[in-house]
Amino acid sequence: MSAEDVRKGREQATNGDGDGNLPVGIDEWRDAAYNCFSSGHKFCREVCPVMQVTHDERHSPTAFHANVVAMEKGHLDIEDVAEDYVHCTMCGACELRCPNTLFTGDFYRFRQRTIGVVRAMRKLAVDRGIHQPNWKRWAERTDQWGNEPVLGWNIETSDAKVRDWAVGLDLPTGGETVIFADCEAAFKRPSIPRAVALLLQAGGIEFGLMSQQWCCGGPMFETGYHDIAHKMVEHNILDWRRNGTKRIICPDPHDYITIIEHYPELDENFDEFEVVLALDLIADLIRDGKVTLTNEIDSTVTYHDPCRLNKRLGKWQAPREILRAIPGLKFVDVDHVTQWSYCSGAGSNLFVEKPELTAKISRRRIDKVKELDGVDTLVSACPWSERPLTEQGEAQGLEVYDIFELVAEAAGFEV
Amino acid sequence: MAVPTLDTAVVDELVAICGEENVLTGRSALFNRARVPAPFPLHRWEQFTPQAVVLPTSTEQVSAVVKLANRARVPVVPRAGATGLSDGAVPIRHGILVDVKRMDKILEIDVDDRTVTVQPGINMMKLSQRLQPLGFIYPDDPASYPCSLVGGRIGTSGFSLISGRFGHTRDLVISFEIVLPTGDVIRVGDGGGRKIRKSSSGYQLKHLFMGHQGTLGIVTEATLELVTRPEAEFSAFFSYPSYLDAWRATGEFARSGLATLAGVVLFDEQKVAYLRRDDEAWIPAPDWVKSITAVAMYGQKDEVRAGAKQIMRIAKANGSTYAGDEVSQGDWWSRHDRYATPLHGRTRSGQAVLMSWHCEDAAINHSQLPAVREKWHWIVDDLRRRFDTFDDWGMFSYTNGAFRPGGDYLTEIDVGIWEQRYDEEMWAAWVDAKREIARVAIEHGGSMSSCHGSCREGEVDLLPLELGGGFDVMKKVKRVLDPNNVMNPGKYLLDQAYEEEA
Repeated sequence: MSAEDVRKGREQATNGDGDGNLPVGIDEWRDAAYNCFSSGHKFCREVCPVMQVTHDERHSPTAFHANVVAMEKGHLDIEDVAEDYVHCTMCGACELRCPNTLFTGDFYRFRQRTIGVVRAMRKLAVDRGIHQPNWKRWAERTDQWGNEPVLGWNIETSDAKVRDWAVGLDLPTGGETVIFADCEAAFKRPSIPRAVALLLQAGGIEFGLMSQQWCCGGPMFETGYHDIAHKMVEHNILDWRRNGTKRIICPDPHDYITIIEHYPELDENFDEFEVVLALDLIADLIRDGKVTLTNEIDSTVTYHDPCRLNKRLGKWQAPREILRAIPGLKFVDVDHVTQWSYCSGAGSNLFVEKPELTAKISRRRIDKVKELDGVDTLVSACPWSERPLTEQGEAQGLEVYDIFELVAEAAGFEV
Repeated sequence: MAVPTLDTAVVDELVAICGEENVLTGRSALFNRARVPAPFPLHRWEQFTPQAVVLPTSTEQVSAVVKLANRARVPVVPRAGATGLSDGAVPIRHGILVDVKRMDKILEIDVDDRTVTVQPGINMMKLSQRLQPLGFIYPDDPASYPCSLVGGRIGTSGFSLISGRFGHTRDLVISFEIVLPTGDVIRVGDGGGRKIRKSSSGYQLKHLFMGHQGTLGIVTEATLELVTRPEAEFSAFFSYPSYLDAWRATGEFARSGLATLAGVVLFDEQKVAYLRRDDEAWIPAPDWVKSITAVAMYGQKDEVRAGAKQIMRIAKANGSTYAGDEVSQGDWWSRHDRYATPLHGRTRSGQAVLMSWHCEDAAINHSQLPAVREKWHWIVDDLRRRFDTFDDWGMFSYTNGAFRPGGDYLTEIDVGIWEQRYDEEMWAAWVDAKREIARVAIEHGGSMSSCHGSCREGEVDLLPLELGGGFDVMKKVKRVLDPNNVMNPGKYLLDQAYEEEA
C-alpha cells in the first residue's frame, strides 16, 4: 500500500464520520485533532515556549487539539476556550516535535498541524463576538491606518508614511520587483529595510516601492480578524498588478510566510507572482561575489533562528552562511534543532495581548545566550523578535542586531 | 454536561493557600486534566474531571491543600506530566487536582557527592540538558523521556529502557520528600540521610512510597543520582527467520554478563509485520526476516568497544544476522519506538483509520515468553474478530532487571483502538480483554505490570490474585496513612479498606 493510498484511505474512512457538533471551520480539523488526542504523548510540552513559562496544561498544544474533541462531544464551547488560544506564538515547535511528524512524517509526508487549529479557533471566537481586548483594538487600528499600530495606539502608521524609511534611497514606485517592508521594520526599526535596500542596490538588483503598501494581513489571520486580513490581501495584490509587479522581496519572515501561505488561497492567479525571502537573495549575492563584505566586525555573536524560518519553513542554512562570511566576526552557533524550543515570544501578537508572557519567553532566550562563552551580540533575522529580545538584551547587557544591519555594516554601509 | 462544583468556601481557601493565579476552575482547565494517554472512555469524559485545579509552587502549599482536603473531605489527585499509561493521574472521584508542573526547579547540584536535588515538575530530558555540560546525565529513560516528569516517575515506579546499565527510577532516586495523605511532610530514602544510597536503619520506606499511583501522597522534592555521562554508545539490530530464534538469541545476549549492557529488545513476528505494513522505509529487510532484536550498550570507550565485540560473537554463534549500520547506528531509541502513532491503524479490510495506540504491559520471565505471546495474540485477535475497531500491532519484550538484565522481561502487546467509535459494548470488551491479558501474565508466574501500574479498570480486579496477602497489607497501610480516604480515592481497589471497617 503506497503512502498515497494510505492518505486517501484515511480520508475516506473518517470524512463525514463526526457527531456533527463541530462548528464550520473547526470541523475540518476533527481528524487532525484526533490524531494528537489518540497519540497523547505530549512531547510538545517541553518545547512549547508558552508552556515553558506558564506550565498550564490549558496552554499546551495537546489541549488545543483535545478541545476540538471535547467540543465535538459537547463538553466545551468556544466561550470556554477562546482565551486559552491566545497562549501560542505559532512558532511551530509542537508540530515538529510531535511523534506523528517525527516518526512517520517522512513516509507519509505528514506534519501535525497545531497552528491551523489555533488559527481556526481564534477565527471562530471573533466570528462569535468573543474578542481579546488588545487584539481587537490592534485590528481596528490596522484596519483604520492600513498598517499595524507598532508605534503605540495613538501614533498613526498610515500608508502615507509607510515609505518614509526609504527617504534618500532614490527608489522608484512599482516596477517588476518591489520590496515589501513589514510594519514593525518600516516604522519602528527602519534600519532593517534600509540595510536590505542598500545591499540589494549594491548587488545590482533593481526594485521599487509599492505605491500604497498595507499590512500583509498576517497578524489579522493569526488573531482571527480574517475580514480585515482579506482587505489587506486584496489591496496589496491590486497594488502589485497596477504597477506591473511580478516579484516581491520580503525582508521579514512573517510577511513572507503570510504571503506564500495565505495569498494563493485568496487569489487563484497568484502564481504570476514570485515571492522571495530577502535572506535567501542576499545570501546568493554574497555567494556570487556581487556583494562583498570587507569591513571587519569585531564581535562574538550567536544567531537566533526565527521560528517562522527555522520551525515553519526549514530555512536555517542561509543566515549561518552569511554570518560565516563576515570578516572578523566570531560566530558561536547553536544548532537549529536545539533552537526548536527557543522563541522570542513575539509571534502571533502574543506581545499585544500578553506582554508579560512575551517578556518571560524572551528573557529565557537571552538567558540561553548568556550561557555561551564570550558572546556579546545576538543576531536575529526577524524584526518582530528583535523588539522583545532588544528589551531583554538591554537589561542583561547584550546587544541585539538584525542580520541585515550587520551585513550592511560589513559591506561598508551606514544604516 | 455538568461537572459537580466544589463548595465556594473550599475554592476560596485554595486561593488563599496557592494564590489566585494558581487555582483554576474553568471548564477547559478541568476537561484538559481528566485524561492520560491510557485507554480512556471518551464517551464518558465528564466522569473524570476534577472540580478544581491547583498549581502549587511549594511543599507548604501542597501540605496546606491536603490538610484542607481532609477537613472538607474532598478527594485530592496528584498530577505531574500526565503521560502515564495507567490511571494514576485521572481524577475518577473528581475533587482537587494538584498539578505540580510549576514546581520545576533544580534546587542543588552536588558534584562531590554526585546528587541532584529537584522539584517534582522537572522533565528528565530538561534535567539532563542542564547536567551534560557538567559531564553528567540523569539516565531514567522511559519512552516518555521527553515529556514525563520526575514526580510521576516516582508515583509509578517507572521503567527505564537502559536500566540494564543504569537502573530504574527506584534505583536512581536516592531519597524524596512526600506530603502524606494527612498533610504531614516526611522524607524517605534508604535510612535517613538525604544522599545515602544504602542503609540498614529502620524500615525501607522508599519502596513503600515508590509506585503508589498517587494513593499515598504527593512528592514535592527528590534527590537523584548524578551519573557520569557515558563516552560511548553501541547499538545493533539483528534479524531472524522466526520469533523463537530471536527469543533464544535474546537470552544469550542477556546472559553475556557485560556490565555495559543497557538493554536487549525483542520484536515479535506480528510487530515486524506491523512495522512493514506501510513503512518499508523503516525495515529494509528481506522477506525471510520475521523477528528482530536490538542490543544497546553504554559506558566508557574501552569497555564498550570490548563489549561490542563480545555481542557480535554471541550474535554470530546464535544465528543472528546483523541488520546493517544504517538501521543500527544513531537513534536506536526512536527507531524502535516509532510505532506509536495513530497513522498505522487498519480495519480488517485494510482500510486505514486513525487509531489510538495502547500497550498492555507485564513482567514475564524469559522461559514463559513464547507461551504468553501466543495467548496474548489470541486475546487481541478475538477482540478484532468481534469488533472491527481493534488492531493487533505486535509485541515487544525488553530486559527488565536492573544491572543484571535477562531473567525477566517487560513485555508489551500494542493494540490499536479506533476510539472515535467507542460505545459501552466496545469499552466493556476492551476492559475484559485487558483483564485476560493480565490474568495470563499472573498464571505464568509474572506480574501484570512492569512499568505502567496496574490500577486500571479491568486488570485491577486481579490485584488481590497477584499480591495475595500482600494486598491485605496494602489496605491496612492505606487506612493508617489516609484515614479519610482523600488521597486519590477509588484506585487499586483501596476503597475496600474502608468498607471493611464499616
